[in-house]
Amino acid sequence: MSGSSICPEWELVNKDEWRGVWIFIEAFEGEVNEASLQLLNPGRRIADKIKTDLVGVMLGYNIKHLVNEPIYYGAEKVIYVDDPRLSTYTPEVYAETLVALIRKYKPEILLAAGTLRGREMIPYVANTLRAGITADCTDFDVDVNTRDLIMIRPPFGATLLAHIRAPERRPQLSTVRPNVFKLPQKDTSRKGEIIEERIEIPKPRIKLISTEEVKIEEIPIEKAEIIVSGGRGLGSPDGFKLLEKLAELLGGVVAGSRKAVDAGWIPHEKQVGQTGKSVKASLYIAVGISGAAQHLFGIREAGIVVAINNDPEAPIFENADYGVVADYREVIPALIEEIMMRRSK
Amino acid sequence: MGLKIIVAVKWVPNTQIVNIDPRTGTLIREGIPSIINPHDLNAVEVALQLKEKYGGTVTAISMAPMSAKAGLEFIIGMGVDKAVLISDRVFAGADTLATSYTLSRAIERLKPYDILLFGQETIDSSTGHIGAQTASWLKIPYIYYVTDVEYIDGVVRVKRRLERRIEVYELPTPCLLVVAMKSNEPRPVKLPYKLRAKMENCIEVWTNNELGLMRECIGLRGSPTRVEKSIATPSIPRKKQKFDGQDVRAAAKWLIDKLIEEGVKIA
Ligand SMILES: Cc1cc2nc3c(=O)[nH]c(=O)nc-3n(C[C@H](O)[C@H](O)[C@H](O)COP(=O)(O)OP(=O)(O)OC[C@H]3O[C@@H](n4cnc5c(N)ncnc54)[C@H](O)[C@@H]3O)c2cc1C
Ligand SMILES: Nc1ncnc2c1ncn2[C@@H]1O[C@H](COP(=O)(O)O)[C@@H](O)[C@H]1O
Repeated sequence: MSGSSICPEWELVNKDEWRGVWIFIEAFEGEVNEASLQLLNPGRRIADKIKTDLVGVMLGYNIKHLVNEPIYYGAEKVIYVDDPRLSTYTPEVYAETLVALIRKYKPEILLAAGTLRGREMIPYVANTLRAGITADCTDFDVDVNTRDLIMIRPPFGATLLAHIRAPERRPQLSTVRPNVFKLPQKDTSRKGEIIEERIEIPKPRIKLISTEEVKIEEIPIEKAEIIVSGGRGLGSPDGFKLLEKLAELLGGVVAGSRKAVDAGWIPHEKQVGQTGKSVKASLYIAVGISGAAQHLFGIREAGIVVAINNDPEAPIFENADYGVVADYREVIPALIEEIMMRRSK
Repeated sequence: MGLKIIVAVKWVPNTQIVNIDPRTGTLIREGIPSIINPHDLNAVEVALQLKEKYGGTVTAISMAPMSAKAGLEFIIGMGVDKAVLISDRVFAGADTLATSYTLSRAIERLKPYDILLFGQETIDSSTGHIGAQTASWLKIPYIYYVTDVEYIDGVVRVKRRLERRIEVYELPTPCLLVVAMKSNEPRPVKLPYKLRAKMENCIEVWTNNELGLMRECIGLRGSPTRVEKSIATPSIPRKKQKFDGQDVRAAAKWLIDKLIEEGVKIA
């Protein structure tokens, strides 16, 4: 691939001009998104390896009181734009503003949280720069010679991890789902450089008419201590009623695999895995779940993993602490009974 | 006049059926039929509802091998008027940038249009990139996670759902909307429509002869990302203890004892 044959739609890139690792720090609704701050963790590692700066980038209106946060979690620099035109989020305006900043400063890497808004605006940013982008990365490495970011994710095909690079283009962009990385230690004594950037912000073509918060009482699965999770092996939505009983008894919540979500037995907010959520429960009970890599990825940070599956060959058993080979329709009621019995003593 | 609506659909292996061989850890692909990406059917449903309410036409586009004709016949069976299948060897190996480029050039050929509809993500790659990237190529406004669409006085008004927020936006036409997965009940195929797909020439096939795109911009060469290698997933070390026996009561007792040993508060 020589430089002479590049697509004329692409901007020419001189890789040597691009330096620095940027983390896009979401600051919507007046607070810094924790999922963004988590990315300062792999960001720090990458920046140290190629000896460059780790920079937090923030967009918004009235965010001045938030701009030190990325420094506290490990960035050495923050670049932010504080402008009334950014007071309401629209994907195009936010994405174009970020594109303008990237063109000006030329960072070699940009990581962003794969929140709903992140997944909406970051691919637009990448495309407008004709840059390579990968979604839902589960880990990173960096090639110190070429400074290529190695973006790692399980592809279609489950048990393997693909290593993806964009060797000819800069910046290199990736999104990462919340809770894939741990929040770095906060240190409020850390100091760093804060740059307020004034930049042309495009006129919005779309208009936010109203926004309304939806109250959800339930504990989200990413915060739950105990999770009883069901897969396609449950065979029907009724299976989840049984799991709910057990979850309630244990003071936990139910979750599911993607196949359970695809079947419509449980909502997508409760999907565990690479394209769902990563959970940190101290106890995770996987029922009728085979243990595909994309699922296992979501329970890397879980404490004890229990597997209930009627197939002794199911990969989940290789990835669990305690396993019972049996039909869940028999084991779950037996577990419920056993717990009740011990409590009544 | 009515609305001119274009809906983008992908032809994907049916992952509901795809399974992993537990011995080799590889994908069992043999005999796996493909389907229209289920989340794209939600976009098709929105397109058909818009057509019913405001009149107009619905055109589906898909970049896929020729076998995808079956999928396009399926959605014509749902009520889509016609379909364009973008199919040529030279498009193979495209990442999301090259795919969205090819789709956007095909969409330009269908101009003028009012509303482009995309699915939220595909079940085989799940990137959710293509909608935003296509909007970027076409330089049109866009919004994701749309659940409801109205068209009032030339303005598209949408409701969209974020995790804890419901928002209403207004967009001018032309615009691109990414429909939230599972946001509606896609209608079933009706036989007369489906027959029409077979009888009339509702599906056009466009190769790169029609699109005339440069090789540098499409397929593998037009893709900035490279899959370099695949390695086995390192697994988290676990205890891997299995209950030895058939009796479920004994199994339950064993498991609860283990959990108590681990410090889980059971009683
Ligand atoms: C790009 C991409 C992203 C993905 N992201 C995710 C993700 O985020 N999360 C996720 O979970 N998956 C994800 N997947 C899908 C993943 O590859 C698997 O297909 C999925 O996890 C399998 O779900 P499952 O274990 O419920 O179903 P299956 O693999 O069908 O397993 C069902 C299990 O139930 C067992 N069983 C059957 N009957 C019983 C019974 N009566 N009692 C006990 N056990 C029983 C069977 O032995 C089997 O092991 C993704 C796939 C792709 C391609
Ligand atoms: N090859 C394709 N042909 C037509 N539409 C596609 C294609 N790939 C993706 N799309 C559309 O883009 C959406 C998001 O796809 P993805 O980015 O692959 O998750 C899908 O739901 C489709 O609406």
